[in-house]
Amino acid sequence: MILRINLSNGKIKEEPIDAETKRKFVGGRGLGVKIIADEVDPKVDPLSEKNKIVFAVGPLTSTAAPTSGRYAIVSKSPQTGTIVDSNSGGFFAPMIKGQDYDAIIIEGKSSSPVYIWTNDGKVEIRDASKIWGKDVEESTKALVKETDEKVKVACIGPAGERLVRFACVINDEHRAAGRGGIGAIMGSKNLKAVVALGGKKLQVADETKFKEVVKRCLMTIDKNQITKDSLRIMGTPALVSIINELGIFPTRNFQEGYSKEADGICGEKYLERIFVKQYACYGCPIGCGRMTRAGGEEGGGPEYESLWALGPECGVNELEDIARANYLCNRLGLDTISAGSTIGCAMELSEKGYLDEEIKFGDSEKVLELIRKIGMRDGIGQDLAEGSKRLAEKYGHPELAMQAKGLEFPGYDPRGVQGHALGYATSNRGGCHLRAYMIGPEALGVPAPIDRFKADGKAKIVKLLQDVSAAVDSLILCRFASFAITVEEYANLLTTATGIIYTPEEFRTVGERVWNMERLYNIRAGFGKKDDTLPQRFTETTLKEGNSRGRVVELDKMLGEYYVARGWNSEGVPKPELLKKLEIEKYSL
Amino acid sequence: MEIIMEIERKTKELEISPEELAKTIDHTLLSPYKNTTEFKKLCDEAKAYNFYSVCVNPYWVRFCADELQGTNIEIAAVVGFPLGQNTTNIKALETKEVIENGATEVDMVMNIAAFKDKNYDSVKQDIEAVVKAASGKVVKVILETGYLTYEEIVKACEIVKEAGANFVKTSTGFGPLGATIPHVYLMRKTVGDNFGVKASGGISNFRDALRAIAAGANRIGASDSVKIVDGYTWAKLTDWNIEEIPCRLCPSRKASFAKMSKSIFQYYKTKCVDCPYKEFNKFYE
Repeated sequence: MILRINLSNGKIKEEPIDAETKRKFVGGRGLGVKIIADEVDPKVDPLSEKNKIVFAVGPLTSTAAPTSGRYAIVSKSPQTGTIVDSNSGGFFAPMIKGQDYDAIIIEGKSSSPVYIWTNDGKVEIRDASKIWGKDVEESTKALVKETDEKVKVACIGPAGERLVRFACVINDEHRAAGRGGIGAIMGSKNLKAVVALGGKKLQVADETKFKEVVKRCLMTIDKNQITKDSLRIMGTPALVSIINELGIFPTRNFQEGYSKEADGICGEKYLERIFVKQYACYGCPIGCGRMTRAGGEEGGGPEYESLWALGPECGVNELEDIARANYLCNRLGLDTISAGSTIGCAMELSEKGYLDEEIKFGDSEKVLELIRKIGMRDGIGQDLAEGSKRLAEKYGHPELAMQAKGLEFPGYDPRGVQGHALGYATSNRGGCHLRAYMIGPEALGVPAPIDRFKADGKAKIVKLLQDVSAAVDSLILCRFASFAITVEEYANLLTTATGIIYTPEEFRTVGERVWNMERLYNIRAGFGKKDDTLPQRFTETTLKEGNSRGRVVELDKMLGEYYVARGWNSEGVPKPELLKKLEIEKYSL
Repeated sequence: MEIIMEIERKTKELEISPEELAKTIDHTLLSPYKNTTEFKKLCDEAKAYNFYSVCVNPYWVRFCADELQGTNIEIAAVVGFPLGQNTTNIKALETKEVIENGATEVDMVMNIAAFKDKNYDSVKQDIEAVVKAASGKVVKVILETGYLTYEEIVKACEIVKEAGANFVKTSTGFGPLGATIPHVYLMRKTVGDNFGVKASGGISNFRDALRAIAAGANRIGASDSVKIVDGYTWAKLTDWNIEEIPCRLCPSRKASFAKMSKSIFQYYKTKCVDCPYKEFNKFYE
């Protein structure tokens, strides 16, 4: 069931989802992409009333399937102009699913600040003027007090209210649907939060067989070294040492791929200095979440990407300083990757004399000041709030923005991981590591190791992982489970949960369909081959230190292979026969 | 190096299903601290994936035999493990006891020190005693190839065959190198087609496992068996065969000063110097 809420006229209605849509798009990202493609003009201004936001859960949400507590938010991004989806864990998703909703479509724009209160199928649009202006922590507490102590809140902070282009949505106070500026879209609609309470017990189609598949999935998660040991014991900060050793740990706005001081912020040091306790999202046997303490504050994270972005990317190597910067981003409702990388870009602009304001690499107090200014759009924060692409363009040096399609890259220098580089360049939402997590095979050896420096043959593997990832995002399960769960078991989970038979091949096709829908949307929005690119720093300038030194990305070589593997023409446009095979020919250009 | 490249080609052509791959694997747990929960899991995984056997320390044989009762999964017990330096009597006694407790295969460690002394009769008698104590059950002999030269590997294989064992096996997983392609290939070439070759030590993904099979192994020893089989199901979804730089698979590049004797380290490293493929061996390739 879909819940549709129009903030312009206050109308609220429930709509069924047809069986064909469920079969073809499943839920989560897939369902959200289908809705946005059908209802939002690709040319629309993302911060206008005409844009829509889809909160979507999936057929596995809040079932016994491991890591099933996630939801996706899909919209058109104000940061990139592409279609965007961002997902988050915690305990918010089961509250939506527990009211029998597969998706909530939010459209229009309220004339004053509001929040949406969905209480076991009773839906209200409520006044939020008293909490407008409050940070995420204060807003969450106020909304819990105003509604019910059992509710879960997904809200924006001051950054979203001020339309910062990389403002995020935060649920459970520190789980973020971080990327692509969805917080700004909520802000543009005067929507402070979605508050949910729902506890309906859900049935799967074949309980007995479903339990058997879940048991097998849990067995593989409990056997896999990454899901069983690394993530459980050290959390994502376990990656710091591994990535640095490979020479792909971006430092000082990607000027280097190796940090001599990384041992001071590695997983072990994290445990010794700031760790308070581990926690897990709904239905998660891994438990990568970390509560920490620094500078007299306690909060969630930083996870690996935040640790990197607010740390070495800005030349900062003090764990406590990084943690404080992370807490501040969470309170303001900022995507930590884009925040850190945009500050890193400003630091390099300043270092090279292109920016009047002195912003030095390694100045942790300045990082905190800039985060605050970004979140409040204050002073130089006005420029930084636009993201690194617009910032670097404004100051005449677009080459210093480390982004693709306007989205800042996360913490892996692509020069030492060729397949991952191709993943960055071809990602439908811009510089993202999660579309095809090639770090898995290229750096961590899962599901099997492949030569990270080779460009030949990578295109097919990137395509496979992009398709599978899009399908997993439609279930919707956490990507960390993908280190262990196979495509066959994903298909089995989906089949036994829905009663619709999916072979592993059909499961992959779901992902391929979603991927091509996103591509078509982006083409209509004006994107194309010219945008499947990387900053020239990665294709022309070699790394000087670490175990990826002497490398550049061989993008041209891989991109042609990729288009062929995808069944696209030489301009990167999906061919009609492919769209027919994927049953989406009506979206043909 | 030609052998490595040849095996890489053969690996690409190998036709084997994930189920068949599982059936070549001795699902192994030889940790000093893993407890009942872990061994219960080991047996559950063996049943779920239909591995050929579980391979465990003697202490766990009876437990695994009970857990796997009624299945066709074999139980392999290690003997004289991991150093091979027990006396022959103790190895035989250990063998007798594990067989009584339910082991159907024995993986013994050769007396490497006696072998290095060229005391080949003693090495052979040591193996013969275990073969006798095993009462017709399969005996695999671990050579620990990381301590041996190519010439010594050939000699050791000949002794094992003469002593009446059933398999030669590369490594314990506790020594240097683990299973390498040239070693497995050489072992198969030496023992011929009608003898067992088990590759073990450092086989952590499906590509390692397939390479070992292409090189001549008919049994794989691995702790990462679940990952190997699950990874292989992924590989079936697209072309995962990206050519590997051959040096990465060569014992000469893998030889470690910290883990092996100085003379063996030098033996392997000096082979690199004259290798026609040394251009591949850049330190960060």
